[in-house]
Amino acid sequence: MSLSTANLMETVKKQYSFKLKANIDAISSLVGIQLVAILFSLGGIGGSLSSSEGLQINFNYYSADVVLVFTMFWALVTAITITTKPYRNHDFTFVTNRLSSSLSNILFLLTGSLLGAVTANLSRYLLQLIAFLFRDQQVYSGPFDFPVFILGIVMSALYIFCVCSIGYLIGALVQVNKSFVLLVPVLIIGSIFLGESILVQLFQFYVMEPNFVFFLIKILITTALFFLASISILNRMEVRR
Amino acid sequence: MSVIECRELSKAYLRKKVLNQISFTIEENKITGVIGRNGVGKTTLLKIMAGFTKETSGEIRVLEQRPFNNLYTSVNSIFVDDQMSFPPALQLQELLEAAQTFYPNWDMDFAQRLFKYFNFDPKHYHNTLSKGRTSTFNAIVGIAARCPITIFDEPTTGMDEAVRKDFYRALLKDYIDHPRTILISSHHLEEMEDLLEDVLLLKNGKVHLHIPISDLKEWAIGLQGQASSVLPWTEGKEVLYQNQIGLNATYVVIKNDLSEAELAQARLNGVKITPVHASDLCIYLTSDTKGGIDDVFINR
Repeated sequence: MSLSTANLMETVKKQYSFKLKANIDAISSLVGIQLVAILFSLGGIGGSLSSSEGLQINFNYYSADVVLVFTMFWALVTAITITTKPYRNHDFTFVTNRLSSSLSNILFLLTGSLLGAVTANLSRYLLQLIAFLFRDQQVYSGPFDFPVFILGIVMSALYIFCVCSIGYLIGALVQVNKSFVLLVPVLIIGSIFLGESILVQLFQFYVMEPNFVFFLIKILITTALFFLASISILNRMEVRR
Repeated sequence: MSVIECRELSKAYLRKKVLNQISFTIEENKITGVIGRNGVGKTTLLKIMAGFTKETSGEIRVLEQRPFNNLYTSVNSIFVDDQMSFPPALQLQELLEAAQTFYPNWDMDFAQRLFKYFNFDPKHYHNTLSKGRTSTFNAIVGIAARCPITIFDEPTTGMDEAVRKDFYRALLKDYIDHPRTILISSHHLEEMEDLLEDVLLLKNGKVHLHIPISDLKEWAIGLQGQASSVLPWTEGKEVLYQNQIGLNATYVVIKNDLSEAELAQARLNGVKITPVHASDLCIYLTSDTKGGIDDVFINR
């Protein structure tokens, strides 16, 4: 029987399109979680202003922030999930090595991040539409600026993708040793209580960056480092023991 | 050309040695049965070949490359067992299509014909199949993939007898049309006898025998008769199996190295000489005791 040669990029491409079909449940759960987030956002963030002349203004601020946060949570959970045994075993039923398995996972997560970013950003307009249709209120919306809209999508996608890389690393660590299931939450919660400044600094470092190019560099390097670490961890793992 | 070479291959799980410095080679386009008792390391050996697990020490070459984490090994081999994992979101038909994209030699027409023959519903899902049906579906994937190295680890788990026979026959027919290197581990040696060319017998983490099945069939003989006339023939020989029949008669199995004259002499002494089935012999060879389970019940 003739032997076949294997090409890494070809294999990754095949695995990627296979995973889009196989992990369709992850995409439907993204839709589900965003719908729930929209439901939570329907009330808007309320406020009222009143002046000494007896004038009172009630306002509701409708934003898609909650949708974005929920999407990040989805990204974390999905990234952890696809490192688990059943998902890795799906790859090893067919043609794979550990590198191609991880690369196609990352491509899948990137797709999910882009999709989630687009829908999360669009959901702002859905919220405004719902408020306009079903609430007896005057709706004011900021001017629609297409470049800003695209920028918003790109930035949200990068945030979501970065969360994916964190989830993927956590998942990889847990696969090496189950004690990370406890260790990781302990570390995160512990850092909230002990060194509040660390979290604040992290937040300032990533979220408060005013320069887009710097932001891009920071978040891309961080994401790449997390993924590289995960790949090198998973590269040594045995499967189907 | 040898496609699989092992040299002093060892594998340990948490210091427990499963494979202990085993060495063998498997030639191209042979069907080899990997035989051994439960827990002897058959699955471990096959998984190392497939590149799923890493050898602890020693060397293994599959298609002249180290299989662990090797894309070349992966595209040229398939590992089939009842643990084969498929995404629950895909229907059986979609799984076949996925397999087609991955395996270059995949024969879709052939896969569909087997699929239809075994009455699979293309719209069903893999995780809803019963044990035997799961094994059957996995076996279809394993045969239709036509990988140069095809590994079946207890492929007939849960299959009923009719399906088992169909499976062996389908495998043999497709092998004749498209020869490839096949390894099968199974506990049903008697069913596979006509299929296998070689037998790789594992015992205590070592290769105990690696011979053609035709040799295995003549490897030992059974001597039956009065204990007084049978036992002298076993002197200085390794007794593979011994069983008391009634009060005086006894049945022993020894290696078949008696000369024609000796056999004639034995027959004159009233010893009945019988061939030993390959599957029985494998049980005797891999057993730690001479009398089998009966030893548990005597001399209590």
